[in-house]
Amino acid sequence: MSTAASSAHASAGITVRDVTKVFYRGKEPLTVLDKLNLEVTPGQFVALMGPSGSGKSTLLNLIAGLDRPSQGSVQVGQSSVSNMADSELAKWRSQNVGFIFQTYNLMPVLTALENVELPLLLTKLSGAERKKRAQTALRVVGLEDRSTHYPRQLSGGQEQRVAIARAIVNDPSLIVADEPTGDLDRQSADDILTLLTKLNTDFGKTIVMVTHDPAAAERANVTRRLNKGQLS
Amino acid sequence: MIPLRYNARSLVRRRTTTIAAALGMALVVFVLAASLMLSSGIKKTLTQSGRPNVAIVLRKGSDAELASGVEKAHVALVSAREEVARDGSGAPLSVGEVVVVITQEKIDGNGISNLSIRGVPENVYAFRPTVKVTEGRPARPGTDEVVVGKRARGRFKGVDLNKAFELKKNLPVQVVGVFEDDGSSYESEVWGDLETVRRGFGREDGVSSVRVQLTSPEKMDAFKTAIEGDKQLQLEVFPETTYFEKMSEGTSAFVNGLGITIAVFFSIGAMIGALITMYASVAQRRKEIGTLRALGFSRSSILFSFLMESLMLAVAGGVLGVLAALGLGFVKFSMMNFASWAEVTFSFNPTPEILVFAVVFGGIMGVIGGFFPAVRAARVPPIAAMRGA
Repeated sequence: MSTAASSAHASAGITVRDVTKVFYRGKEPLTVLDKLNLEVTPGQFVALMGPSGSGKSTLLNLIAGLDRPSQGSVQVGQSSVSNMADSELAKWRSQNVGFIFQTYNLMPVLTALENVELPLLLTKLSGAERKKRAQTALRVVGLEDRSTHYPRQLSGGQEQRVAIARAIVNDPSLIVADEPTGDLDRQSADDILTLLTKLNTDFGKTIVMVTHDPAAAERANVTRRLNKGQLS
Repeated sequence: MIPLRYNARSLVRRRTTTIAAALGMALVVFVLAASLMLSSGIKKTLTQSGRPNVAIVLRKGSDAELASGVEKAHVALVSAREEVARDGSGAPLSVGEVVVVITQEKIDGNGISNLSIRGVPENVYAFRPTVKVTEGRPARPGTDEVVVGKRARGRFKGVDLNKAFELKKNLPVQVVGVFEDDGSSYESEVWGDLETVRRGFGREDGVSSVRVQLTSPEKMDAFKTAIEGDKQLQLEVFPETTYFEKMSEGTSAFVNGLGITIAVFFSIGAMIGALITMYASVAQRRKEIGTLRALGFSRSSILFSFLMESLMLAVAGGVLGVLAALGLGFVKFSMMNFASWAEVTFSFNPTPEILVFAVVFGGIMGVIGGFFPAVRAARVPPIAAMRGA
């Protein structure tokens, strides 16, 4: 990862316009998001809150390019995410989005360093350069000395920090976090939130975070609440 | 590209299912390699004693020595040809031999089997210099003494050094020596005195075959033309190498065919094993695959990665199967040679080509068996990375 001063990617703004997402249970349509609009300015740290089933994770998936809206458009930076083909979208995600999952989603058979290095395998960087960048990212999250450890040898908090290192190693303009503290104790959760805040303030990353935790939401610049597919 | 160590370690992580599937592959590769090794061993055993400058003369229309008969007078005529080499004393380098098959009780109590008896003349050791009596001594001409081949020894009742058995009722013979011939099919025979065998089996009027050593392999065509051109003789000439190849064809093809058929049937089972293992693996790793997709890895790189994993599984099984098959190098295998109707003992002959082919066959099975699970993996959407997806 580059340092804040030399960040390769500018922060991305997000424009979600008239987005509807309909899932089908059998033949029965289920509208999860209903003509939703959201504006996130570059460098903003936004928390999405709301009861279960309110559509916050669905919205996060659409912003991150993991899914497509049934109607409406999603624009991240200069990219119209909702109009991209599968392969194009995969490439876009690899270059522009860092993912942080509730259950960390590390590859259990890879070491911390190898996990962090994964997104760099999609670049043309040399092996040595990939390793160097992965080590830098681990240093940013304070886990440089755990690089050869496998996920099972790490605590939950450490696993999430490795996941954050993986999310930032490509220097993406946008970080999406889905309940990043949901599986952690208070202390580890606070450490993770501090790290996210640092990524936002020091490195200028735009962050969209889904959370149930009011303490987590407090760290964000803006908190938006969803209810029945609508932002309030 | 997803690193191969991810696949290798994933296989190790699911070691129980990996071992079960790899053992299935190993079994197929073992069966395939073993049958090919045996077929190759049969060919080697039956053909290695053939020399290019030796011609074998049989009665016209006979495929093998057992079915052939050459009159005594014709033996001398054949041996007198100018193409035939001579020893220091000017005598032609030729042997007229009688070959018969007897049934003899096996020593392991597994019933009876056919044993090949060859009545040989005195100069047989000079004619076949690779044959060496390694224990005891050669049989004395004109006696009821016999020598037994190393591979026939101890397989039948009485067919062992210093023991006796009956060539036929009231024709007992004494085993006075054991001979070796670099593992050739002669080692599965019993050699007795030509006249003794002739008398015993009512073949006084001739021999089964005549072998002659020519002055050079180039004389083969001239010798063949001369002998076969004499309509009164009614004889047929084969280069010894060709004759042995023909003798091995049926048995070798049978073993090959049987082995490959069994391997193909087994391979269907092994492929299903690999298929189930990989399907289960894909189902268990849905979230991992989704995460890789979310990080930006394409469908094709996921497909390739899982095909590689299946290939690794199969190659590991294949190497295991080949190693097990290599262990058969120490095993001797006896079976009926369909051309001579006598039991011949063979070894498994591992060649690099066979071993590589067997592993490659295993690898192909792995790729075929792993294809559909790999397609399923490639279809996992990136959203599968998210909780509850």
